Amino acid sequence: MNVTIPKTDHELGSTSVVLLGLIVLLGLAILTGALTVSYATYLIALSGMYVLLALGLNVQWGYGGIINFAVVAFWGLGAYVAALATARTSPLGLEWHPLFALVVAIIFSVIAAILVGLPAIRLRADYLAIATLGFSEIFRLLVANETHITAGMAGLAGIPSVLEDLPFDTVTTNLLVVAVAGALVFLFLRRIHRSPWGRVMQIIKADEDLAESLGKNAFSFKMQTFVLGCVIMTIAGVYYAHFIGYVDPTDLDPLETFFVWVAVILGGSGSNRGAVVGAFILVAVLEGTRFLTDFSIFAALSTGPLRLLIVGVLIVLIMRFKPEGLYPPRDELIWPKSQTDTEGQS
Amino acid sequence: MSVIQLAVDGIVYGSIIVLGAVGLSLVYSIGDFPNFAHGDLMVAGAYGGLVANLGLTQIGLQPTSVFSPELLVTIVAGLAIGIVVAVATHYLVFKPLDSGPIALLITSFGVALIYRSLIWMGFGSSARSYNFPRSGPIGSIRDATGLAVTNRMLVIVLATAVVVTTLHFVLQYSMLGKKMRAAADNGDLARISGIRPRETVLTMWVGGGALAAMGGVFLGLHTLIRPLMGFDILLLIFAAVILGGIGSIYGAMLGGFAIGLAHEMTPVIPGVGSEYGAAVAFVIMIIILLVRPGGILGEETT
Amino acid sequence: MTVLDIDQVDSGYGDLQILHDVSMHLEEDEIVCIIGPNGAGKSTAIKTIFGLVQPWTGAITLRGTEISGQMPEDIVRQGISYVPQTDNVFSTLTVEENLEIGGVTVSDESTEMIEKLYDRFPILEEKRSKKARTLSGGQRQILAFSRALMVDPDVLLIDEPSAGLAPSLVQDVFENVKQINSLGTSVLMVEQNARAGLNISDRGYVLAQGQVKYEDDAQAILENPEIGELYLGG
Ligand SMILES: Nc1ncnc2c1ncn2[C@@H]1O[C@H](COP(=O)(O)OP(=O)(O)O)[C@@H](O)[C@H]1O
Ligand SMILES: [Mg+2]
Repeated sequence: MNVTIPKTDHELGSTSVVLLGLIVLLGLAILTGALTVSYATYLIALSGMYVLLALGLNVQWGYGGIINFAVVAFWGLGAYVAALATARTSPLGLEWHPLFALVVAIIFSVIAAILVGLPAIRLRADYLAIATLGFSEIFRLLVANETHITAGMAGLAGIPSVLEDLPFDTVTTNLLVVAVAGALVFLFLRRIHRSPWGRVMQIIKADEDLAESLGKNAFSFKMQTFVLGCVIMTIAGVYYAHFIGYVDPTDLDPLETFFVWVAVILGGSGSNRGAVVGAFILVAVLEGTRFLTDFSIFAALSTGPLRLLIVGVLIVLIMRFKPEGLYPPRDELIWPKSQTDTEGQS
Repeated sequence: MSVIQLAVDGIVYGSIIVLGAVGLSLVYSIGDFPNFAHGDLMVAGAYGGLVANLGLTQIGLQPTSVFSPELLVTIVAGLAIGIVVAVATHYLVFKPLDSGPIALLITSFGVALIYRSLIWMGFGSSARSYNFPRSGPIGSIRDATGLAVTNRMLVIVLATAVVVTTLHFVLQYSMLGKKMRAAADNGDLARISGIRPRETVLTMWVGGGALAAMGGVFLGLHTLIRPLMGFDILLLIFAAVILGGIGSIYGAMLGGFAIGLAHEMTPVIPGVGSEYGAAVAFVIMIIILLVRPGGILGEETT
Repeated sequence: MTVLDIDQVDSGYGDLQILHDVSMHLEEDEIVCIIGPNGAGKSTAIKTIFGLVQPWTGAITLRGTEISGQMPEDIVRQGISYVPQTDNVFSTLTVEENLEIGGVTVSDESTEMIEKLYDRFPILEEKRSKKARTLSGGQRQILAFSRALMVDPDVLLIDEPSAGLAPSLVQDVFENVKQINSLGTSVLMVEQNARAGLNISDRGYVLAQGQVKYEDDAQAILENPEIGELYLGG
């Protein structure tokens, strides 16, 4: 290989530049009065949630090459378990402590991921895409219609905020929790990606037969990857429920799944830093469209379709012109030694 | 409601699904990717028909029944839009991409969002309907059988029957039809034999776009025309295609009716209401994917 | 006269190079057999000639006309035809439809050609309206040959014609190849069953690791003790 691989520090630098840029923009927006502080903190917290989702999907698609079109369902599982277990209005009337609900949500997520993954992971990629989308829709229909359990279309309100016991105000707690969760997941993923497990996963993604011939059970590794990704999505869902305080079945629109896909492929499939940046850009696009309609040329348009249009065009353009995304995984420090070797040669 | 009435409804809804599924199956087998924009392509056709339909009303033509030249104009306009949109998308998006099925799949979702948002921007989010009188059930049929069958239902089923039969003859006996089947069966061998992919791929988009548009117009005729209805029907169409076996045009026809029936007849299952019609269809789809991915008619393939 | 000339060709899939500087040629009325271990690149060589895999460097000429860089659907219009190793019939089409598709580039003479092939292989006429997937392995191979013969080619490329056939049928396949050749078609054939393949051939090439390791008259290869040990199973 004679590709030049950019220095990792340099790349890390550019990640911070992008993120910093977004934060500076945010700051400016607040100063000029375009944004209120509470809206700005909302945006950051929301971005944090999408970071978690993108990291979860990146584990599956980026590390494992597993197509999952049920992202919103695993996220929704977390949101609904959290809501049902803790909300005042829950038909189940449990009102558990949120941390306990989190543990239960994770257990449910593992079980659901295994139930879906066991039969489905072996499927050809396109079949897996369709099957997971089918699972996602079945889940949405169940939540919408099993009113005696889920409250149905009425939704669930009165979900307590995140960690009310902490000595901060709600906004600070929200930000703190999502920042800590995002950082922990990021560091954890980076660690396992560089571990022997991560290397096996890379071989499997590149050449499943080769991995099998090395005595690695590709199926078992892919299952672990799938479950791990689903659990991260579920954690994002739990966070969302406590952060927003309300969930209903319209939150389970498969569109959300594709938003997360945009974040991952925009950032660069297989790259965790890419997933983080992708998630921030995604939220900037999703929420930024609100402001575009303030400009006269867009005034006639409502936010909904404009947002879809931009996301759609983004997907088409990335796939055409930059399918490897902003941060192709090659730039990641996977085999630090082999990278320095290559650099020495080129 | 009687079981037979549910079955009749299933055949009507199944007809719409058949029209979508045959086109999707064509694209899936010859274009070699699952086109997630197919549902929204149907919607584009439905709105194309709507524009013509409203235009007719504007110039003072007031159809007295759904069996009218106005319906023909509506359908033809829908077809034209469906074909133009499908072919333009091919040249602007899919062809230059020149990539594998997964990249095409993801891109097709972006295309779906673009269709949907443009339609939404152009026509607003509220439901519209074609300007044809909504008559009640046909009296003679109700008296004879006790079944509620409206003119619209009759139009949909009859027109679908005509289209499907014509398609059968084209595919079975014309050289173009044989080339299409050959390309769907084995793309490389078709090229080795001298079939130009340009010809089959273009035919595939023209045919797929036309069939999708027709399905879209009928979906609008059967219910209402909504900019977001494409996604609701997309998975049902996938279910039909998978049930019948990807690439099998006849499978798609059979699968379409089967999924239409399953969708409408769920109340027959004890404890399951009509709100689970789609869910039942998806369960069938997932089971087929898991146990017999070649479809019920197809070979055992993975 | 040289009908097909492959000159210093490199090719492969994506970034992965399979063929390294491969040169081969096929003379008028010859049968030439390519042998070599599994994964040597034999199928890749045939696919590269027929444009299914694009050559990276080098030239491929058919009767002096360069065909490298052309698409399969154009190459087949120049008097050359190809029977792939696998998936070589349209399994969901009938026998007769398979032949019609084989003849799309010569549609004027198609019916006539089908009749000729029916005369030669009565089993095809018997099964004319059966789907190809219902045929036995041997019948399928006959159909695969016949589909390729519909264009009445000067040059025929055949990839492992005897693979997967019952031993009793293998000899029939080689008889067919000889007959096709005697009717004026030059044949370039890949064969795992190296001895049987070389037996009916004029010349042979040994391909290993994507390189031509050896070339000679078929008889000389068969008698070469070193090659016998390495590639002909002792
Ligand atoms: N479509 C393909 N993509 C990538 N590698 C391939 C492909 N087809 C074959 N190969 C690889 O090319 C090499 C040569 O294969 P092939 O030409 O089929 O060998 P042979 O016909 O001599 O058995 C093998 O290592 C095989 O794995
Ligand atoms: Mg081979």
